Order: sequence, then structure tokens, then C-alpha cells
Amino acid sequence: MEFISNLVSMPWLDYSISGLVIGSIYALMAIGLALIFGVANLINFAHGAVFTVGSYIGWTCLVALHLPLGVSIVLVALGTGIVGALIEWLAIRPLNRQSRIAPLLSTIGVGLILDQVIHIVFSPTPRALSANIPNWRIQVGNGTIGPIDITIALTAILSAGLLYLFLYKTKLGMAVRATAQDDDAAKQMGVNINRVNMTVFGIAGALGGIAGLLVGLYFNSIDPNASFQMMLKGMVAIVIGGMANVPGAIGGGLILGLIESYGIGLFGASYRNLFAFAVLLIMLLFRPNGLFARKGERHAEPMTGTFVSQSKPVRIPKQLILALVVVALLLPMANQPYITQIMTNAYLYGLAALALTLVSGTVGLVSIGHAALLALGAYASALATTKGLPVGLGLIFGGLFAGIVGTVLAYPAFRLRGHYVAIGTLALGEIVALVILNWTPVTNGALGVFAIPPLELFGVPLYGTNQSYWFVLGLLLVFCGLQVRLLNSHLGRTWRAIREDTVAAETYGISSNYYKGLAFGFAGFTAGIAGAVTAHQWSFINYDSFNLQFSVLILTMVLLGGMGNVSGAVLGAIVIAALPEFFRAVAEYRMLFYGAALIILIRFRPQGLLGSG
Amino acid sequence: MTGRVFQNIPDQIPAGRTLVRSAATLSRRAFGALALSAALAGPTLAETSGDPVYIGVSGPMTGPQGQYGEMWKMGFDLALEEINADGGINGRPLDYIFEDTQNDPRQTIAVAQKFIADPKISVEVGDFSSTSSMAASPLYQRGKLVQFGFTNSHPDFTKTGDYMWSNSVPQSQEQPLLAKFATEGLGLKKIAVMYLNTDWGKTSKDLFLKAAADDGAEVVAAEGYLGDEKDFRATLVRVRDAKPDGIMLESYYSDAALIVRQIRDLGIDVPIMATGSIYSPDFIKLAGDASEGVYTSVYYAPQSPRPEVQHFVKAFTEKYGSEPSHFSALAYDTFNLLATVMRDYGTSREDVKEGLGKIHDLPSVMFPKVSFDPETRRVAGPEVTPLVVKDGEFVVYRPQG
Repeated sequence: MEFISNLVSMPWLDYSISGLVIGSIYALMAIGLALIFGVANLINFAHGAVFTVGSYIGWTCLVALHLPLGVSIVLVALGTGIVGALIEWLAIRPLNRQSRIAPLLSTIGVGLILDQVIHIVFSPTPRALSANIPNWRIQVGNGTIGPIDITIALTAILSAGLLYLFLYKTKLGMAVRATAQDDDAAKQMGVNINRVNMTVFGIAGALGGIAGLLVGLYFNSIDPNASFQMMLKGMVAIVIGGMANVPGAIGGGLILGLIESYGIGLFGASYRNLFAFAVLLIMLLFRPNGLFARKGERHAEPMTGTFVSQSKPVRIPKQLILALVVVALLLPMANQPYITQIMTNAYLYGLAALALTLVSGTVGLVSIGHAALLALGAYASALATTKGLPVGLGLIFGGLFAGIVGTVLAYPAFRLRGHYVAIGTLALGEIVALVILNWTPVTNGALGVFAIPPLELFGVPLYGTNQSYWFVLGLLLVFCGLQVRLLNSHLGRTWRAIREDTVAAETYGISSNYYKGLAFGFAGFTAGIAGAVTAHQWSFINYDSFNLQFSVLILTMVLLGGMGNVSGAVLGAIVIAALPEFFRAVAEYRMLFYGAALIILIRFRPQGLLGSG
Repeated sequence: MTGRVFQNIPDQIPAGRTLVRSAATLSRRAFGALALSAALAGPTLAETSGDPVYIGVSGPMTGPQGQYGEMWKMGFDLALEEINADGGINGRPLDYIFEDTQNDPRQTIAVAQKFIADPKISVEVGDFSSTSSMAASPLYQRGKLVQFGFTNSHPDFTKTGDYMWSNSVPQSQEQPLLAKFATEGLGLKKIAVMYLNTDWGKTSKDLFLKAAADDGAEVVAAEGYLGDEKDFRATLVRVRDAKPDGIMLESYYSDAALIVRQIRDLGIDVPIMATGSIYSPDFIKLAGDASEGVYTSVYYAPQSPRPEVQHFVKAFTEKYGSEPSHFSALAYDTFNLLATVMRDYGTSREDVKEGLGKIHDLPSVMFPKVSFDPETRRVAGPEVTPLVVKDGEFVVYRPQG
């Protein structure tokens, strides 16, 4: 009853204004994303970083060089336009004929590099960004809005309008649309599709940069960590508006802003992203073409086809594997606890990667929400063991819990294809983290779970550096063995069939959802145990222990090793988890190397080091 | 200005051997700093000799919390310069090894293994947040190396074992002092609280709520928010409608600046106060005019007439050309405190652990006198100074009349 009366007495006008103010910021982000998606059929994950680059070019012009605002805007647009065009030229174009996950991951790599460059050049400290803007404010409702708020909204609407004119009234615009529809046909008609793509990335970059500048002025604060949040919100906005729909992106941004604002009004700010991601999921499931799509419009994504690069997996001789296992078993004898600990971490990553490579590589559901499975396992085991369950049973409980709950949560996403699986699982991952954060009575909320009992198996302590190393190594070997057996059985064949062509597989009588569920269940069990072991090792976890960055990291490991490849997943985990540790001396540039490695790998060895299985 | 090097370059050059080690990891900026400080140090050079005594620092240098690692480093470097000019640890130079963890628990546990296995390390300092520090605590406890967490105010941080020590004031002591200031100093009766929804923010908020209620004030709203949020307008509409006569922020300086601006943009015109963690010149820069009249209360106020504080502020401003932040002051204090412990009680790991329990009424920048309660391994009985922003500067708050 109280809820209803809140609903009636809510100051709707004030919440609407605050929703529209933040919504127009999201819209500004979304336009560039929609434009790129339209032409390249790609979610540009580097767009958030371009936004940040724009805000720092703006700071350099306005604060360091004292240039007037007009000149600064032009320089920002030029600078980030060039950055955008370079992204297309260096990171997208060379991948032209590869699997469609490749450019997406390549943009993640570019984003990492750009963010890190800003970090190094400008330091992570937030900076004030102000300009000589008239200091009047208009009273609206009980609050006020100022010139920047209005400029942001106008820029969003104006740039969408101009883009619309460009796309539908100019010759180059026609070429852009032709390329978006069918790049091969456009090429045959004499369209220089490379030039078209580069132009589009340039325009999108310029818009992203201007967004960075304006948002920086609005908050009077810029920092190099804003990229990812902005990118996510822009992505939700284009899903609402229709992936490639430029005017729809504005609508999507404003709607997202309003939903968040009303949601905060009713439930509080900790729930903000929960609403954003719930909306995202609902849209993906029920209106994948966006709110503004006309009936019968073609699907933005093909319903079948491969998403994973094909190749023959590299066969590793049995003797070599055996030798490596022996070396691994003997490693603690070297008496280097630091290295032993890093390898324990690497094997835990390996377990997580093993689970992901099954779901994403073998079955073809590319997941960016994998961390949620580890979080489920970790919390289940941590909460059960702090209440008295023995740790050994806790680990199994964590695995089962993650397997079952993970599969149930992911079940609705089984019908999604291609990019939509990636976005949908990303949303699921965030939702799990936010539920953990907000469900305080059960999960202890922001305080996390403290005093988790250390690793032991039915009375045998395993928390020493070497014992936990051997224990984790043992787990990894057992799960590798299990997974190899599964893949060689009829199950493995069925999974691969679903990946290659779901429709064809179904016509042969395979119930694809059932088999996807089996894969998710097994992967969830593996990942859940990995999460649970981590929780007992750290003795303290919170909602952020397994976050989105972690999901991306695991995906990179799987990709590095080769999608679907069991030994590849382990190799990928070891390389990515262990190598940066050995380059600690250059820690500042670590993320830079990591981003560059990702791009180079996708460019030159898209099937991963050991080939996809 | 700091050289962003990860192997610390000692500002004094004690011996040729150290210089060679430094040169290998020298960056251009660090070289500038080295040359400069060597020139400044001049005659006091080479008062220390022998193998350095090492402190292992686990903290963020890159990643979202990288800025705090930078502030730490400024405090550490200044402290080292003075300690070594003054004869180091009984003649041996003091030095530190900074391992970047990005404030990530996966990396803090690896770094912990590294420090525990490295016999050079006498004591460990850090990490930044409770999540990442407490993940490593069981290792330090079992490895019998003191983990000195100077930014870890999480109530459970020192509970892992007797090797966890902290000079960070737990919120259980800080928040009642803030509540007293709100109710008695500012006369607030209906307070709205906004808090960062992390272990730190939530614990602070709960303690503030309780203390404010004990002091007879009503808390009319308590709104949590996530750390990467920038837009608070909708949340503030909720706060406004609770009709508070004052707003309390359990925030870091960067989010506090955003909130304060948006409070004023929404036309909410009540007094604002915030925890001591907003005490940074950057807060005023980021919040602009909206920062006028914001209250805070800190353990460390550079305006304090105490000679320790005056000396620190002067030396820091001379070295870096900017005013020290709360985090730099904590870092500076921590090194001085550990140096005193090691001078008086020895440099072995056990000596440090025993020594921390024995020191008594040590002068410091943050607190007039530092002693540890050997039971809780926390600083006993801190005091606070209320501040207010006036004409773009933090000044000591003096109630009129």
C-alpha cells in the first residue's frame, strides 16, 4: 500500500527532468554506437574510450591551453574523428572476413589501450573541466537546468537530425546505407566500402568525443574510468531504440534515462543499473529489433551461421601433456611461494576458462557474463560454510548451486543468437552482481562475506601455499579429463552441431535447448567450484569480487587458447594470468600490452594458439 | 609531480650498489626527481650505510584507484627523505618496494606471497580497500609478517589475527564524533545521509545513524549509491522530499564533489557536511562554487598549529608544490611510525609486531599522540578538527558567538 501511495505522490515532474537530463547524455553516446552498428554490424566497445579521449582533448584545449569553447569543440571533434577512423583502419578493416566475434573483441582491445594511454598521460586523478559558460539557470519544477543541460540535449537531437539528412539525402549517405545492407553488392556497384566504413567510424568518433567534452563540462569532472559505464548505457540505449536505428538511439537514451530516474525515485540509487540491465534483457527477449521497429523488418542478426573461427585443433602429443603435468606437480618443490601462488591463481582461471570454452566455444554461446557463475558458486559455498557446512561439501554445494541457478537464469537467453547472446549474458552477469549487492539480508550486501573458513577437505587442511596448489591442480586435471570425455561422446558431437547450425540441428530432431542446458549445467558446476575455491582462499568476498572485467578476461583466455579447445583454455589461462605477473616492473604498461596482444591475436591467429575444437 | 616508478628510487644515494639497481629501473621523470633531491640533499648525503631496511607496499598504482597510490607515494617519499637524512634505521637506510596490485584481491594475494617469501621485507603496508587487503590477511597472518593497513577502516580488518595492525581510525570512533558535530556544532535535527554503497560507506552510515539518533537527531533519509555513478539528480529528489535540515555525505572526494554540485543545482539549500575523506584540494576544484560552506571534520588539518603538522605541510608543499591530501598524510605518518618502531625495537618481523604494541604516545601528523590498543590493534582515542570551505579553501570552523 505504501508503494502505491509513493507512486501517486511521487514528484513525477522532477524525476522526469532528471531522467531527461541524464537520458540525453546516454542518447549522445548511443548515436555513434547505432551508426557503427548499422554499417559494420558491430558493437564498438571502444566507443566509451573515445568518449574519454574526447573529454581529455577538451580538457587540454580548455584548461591547459585556454582556448575558447567553440575552437575546443572543433578540435575535439577532429581529434576523436581521427581516432575513430584509425580504429576502423587498424583494428576492424584487417579482420574483414573473419568470424563476427572478432571485431567485437578487437574493439575491446582498442578500448583497453586508449583508456590506458589516458591513464598514463593524464594520471587517474579526476580533473575539473570548466569553461566560460553563462551562469544562468532556469527553474523547472523544483530544480533548475542550465546551459550545458540544454546544449547536451540539443546536440543529441541536432546530430541525429544531421545524420538522418546525411544518410538519406547525400550520395555518400546512400553508399553508407548500401554498405550496411549488403557490402558485397555495394562493392560491385562501385562503392568504396572501405572509405564508407572509415567515414562512419570517423563521424561516430567525433560524436563520441563531443559527448565526452559536454558530459565533462556538465559534471565539471572527468576521469579515465568513465569509459565502460558510458559505453554500457549507450549499448542499452541502442538495444531499446533498435540496434542500427539512429533516431531510435535518441529515443532509447531518453527512455533509459527516464526508467532509471523513476526506478531511483521508487527504490533508491543502488538499483539504478539493475533497471538498466533488466530493461536490456526484456528488450532482447521480446523486442530484439527495438521499440521503434516496423513489423516485418528484417532481423539485424542472421538466425544461423557460425560465430566462431573454424580451424583444426592442434594435437598435443600425449607424452608432452604427461611431461607438463609432471612438471606442474613438481613446481612447489622449487620453493618459490610467489610463483606457486601465481600458478594456483592461473589454474583457478583455467577452471573458469574450461567452463567458458564449453559454453562459448563448443556450443557457440559467447558469454560476457561468466563471472556470475563464479560469484554464485563463491557465495553459495561461503554462506553455507560460515553457517557450519564443512568446506568439502560447501565446494560441491557451490558447484551445484551455480550449475542449477546459472542454467535457469541463462535459459531465456538460449533463444538469442550472435551478438545478442553476448549482450544478454553481459546483462545477466551485472544483474547477478547487483542482486548480491542489494539483497542484504541474505548476502550481507556491500559488506561482503567475511571469515570464510580456509580450504580443507574433511579435516585435512589445504590452505598452505603448496597444498592449495596441488588441490587446485588436481581439480583442474579432473575437470579437463571429464570435459575431454564429454566432448568425445555423442554429447560433444551434438553440441558442435548446434553451434554450426542450430536450425539444421533441430530439423534432425535435436532439442537444442535441452543440450544447451546440459552444457550450461556442466559449465556452471565447474565455474561454481572455481568460485567457491577462490572464496575459501581469500576468506573475504563481496559483490565486486567477480566483475565484468573478470568475465572479459576469461573470454580473452578462451579466445587465446582457441574456442572450445580444452588444453587451449588451460594454456590461455596460464599465459594471461601468469605473464603479466612476470612483467610487474612495467606494471604501468601492463594493460597496454594486454590490449595490444588481444588485437594482434585476433588479427593474426583468430582461431587461438591451439585452434578451436 | 611524482616519478611513477614501481621500484622505489631512494632519494638519498647511500651506496654505489643501490645506485646501480636504481639505474636499471630509472624512468626519465624519476631521474629528474632523483637528480633534484640529490642536489637538495647535499651535505646530509651518505649518513646511512649498509643494506637498506625494506617496507613492502601493496597498493594500487594503475586501475581505478591508481590516484590513491600516487598520493601514498608522495607521502612515503617525503617520509623516507627525512628518515634517511636523520640516520635511517640506526644507520641503515630505509627503503620500500611498491608492488602495484590495482587494488585487486587476486593480485594482493600473489604480492603477499612475494613479500612473505622475501626475507628483506620487515613489514608490509597496504592494500587500499578492505576487499583486497583482507583477501591477503590470512596469508600474512600465517606467514607471520605484519600487515599494516593504513586505509583499512573496515571494522573486521584487524580481526583476522595479531599480525593485522591499523592506524586508520575505524568508523566506530569517527562517526560518533561527526554526529556530535552535526547535532551540537551545527544544530541539525533532521539529517539526510548519502553514502557510497561499499563496506566502508555502509558501515559509516550505520554508525552515523546510530550516533545521530543517540544525540537526539532524526535521520530522515539514507540513500546509497555505487562508486562509478556520476548522476545524482534523481537520488537527490528523494533526499529533498524527505525535507532534511542538513545533508551528510559518506563519500570520497570525487563523488562528494559531484553530489554537492548537483545538490545546489537542484536548489536544495541546506548545510552539507561530509566525512574527512573529502579533505583534498581537488574536492574544491571539482565542486567549484558549490563547495562553499561544506563542512567536514578531519584528524589531520594542515591549519593545525601543532608543530608536526606545520612541519609536514611545509615540507610537502616545498617538495611537490601542492597541498597534501588526507591519503598523503596517512602515508607519511605510517612510514614515520614504522621507522620509529624499527629504530626502537628492531627490524625483524617479530620485532615489528612486538614493537607496535609497545610504542606509547608517539607524536604524528594525524593524531596528537599515537598508541595502539594491543587488543584491537587500532589507534586509541583520536580527536577531530572541524573544517569548513570558505572562499575556495578549507579553514578551521569556529562557531560564532
